[in-house]
Amino acid sequence: MREDCRKDFERLSEYLDGELDDAVCREIERHFHQCPECRECVDSMRKTIQLCKEAAIEEIPAVAKERLRAMLRGCLARNHHLS
Amino acid sequence: MNERATESIDHHLISEFKAGSMEAMEKIVERYEDRIFTFGLKMCGHLQDAEDIAQETFLNAFKYLKDFREETKLKNWLFKIATTACIRKRRKKKCEPNHEISLDSFFPQNGDHPTYDIPDVSDDPSDSMLRAELKNIIDAAIHSLSHKYRLVFNLRDIEGFSTEETADILGISTQSVKTRLHRARLYLRERISNAYKEGIVQ
Repeated sequence: MREDCRKDFERLSEYLDGELDDAVCREIERHFHQCPECRECVDSMRKTIQLCKEAAIEEIPAVAKERLRAMLRGCLARNHHLS
Repeated sequence: MNERATESIDHHLISEFKAGSMEAMEKIVERYEDRIFTFGLKMCGHLQDAEDIAQETFLNAFKYLKDFREETKLKNWLFKIATTACIRKRRKKKCEPNHEISLDSFFPQNGDHPTYDIPDVSDDPSDSMLRAELKNIIDAAIHSLSHKYRLVFNLRDIEGFSTEETADILGISTQSVKTRLHRARLYLRERISNAYKEGIVQ
């Protein structure tokens, strides 16, 4: 069983990302069914990814965006790139 | 908006820009500035650095857009430029974390199976303080990743690029993307769980 645990631990991300063949996924799921520790391992990994995604939203200040636009307008006009 | 519609709008704006439209430039910025700013912020940790990344990215993009043949999506091309800007920015800094992440260090040894306390974030608005504290923990954990892992994690899990797209943006193999992503996730799980256990978030 330890060998299965190690093998599935190494391909946990590929499993979660749907990057493994169906047959391999079924094999991994059979193992999870029998091994609560590995089931816990995959659940906590899934939660970690979800949590990071949920925390990713950033509020960008309008003034920073305006500085970006002003800089671009100035540079592009100077380079006579646009008519 | 689906991918095909996005690409069609981008194609139109690129053509307009090549024909000399300043308005097309503004629209391209409007479509991608939030994502590029956010990427810069996630990579560098400071708004000032994120502004530098965004400015360098769009400036270079518009400098070379007239030669852009659309062999890749505009979004991917912009992120490739932004990634280069992040790497340049990093070279100028000296105290960036630079550690390898070993898979073995996360595999349970001697039959022990550690448990990970990863909190659930409910939709309850009264949890806003918990959310803010958690966000700080997560942001700090992401910033403590070495640059090469942080790049892959941000592109794959935060920006949602596929393994193949991430490999193309970074100029590395798909296997390297998978390896780095897996190690980054294991590292983040441990960091977040430890912070939670230590009671930083009550």
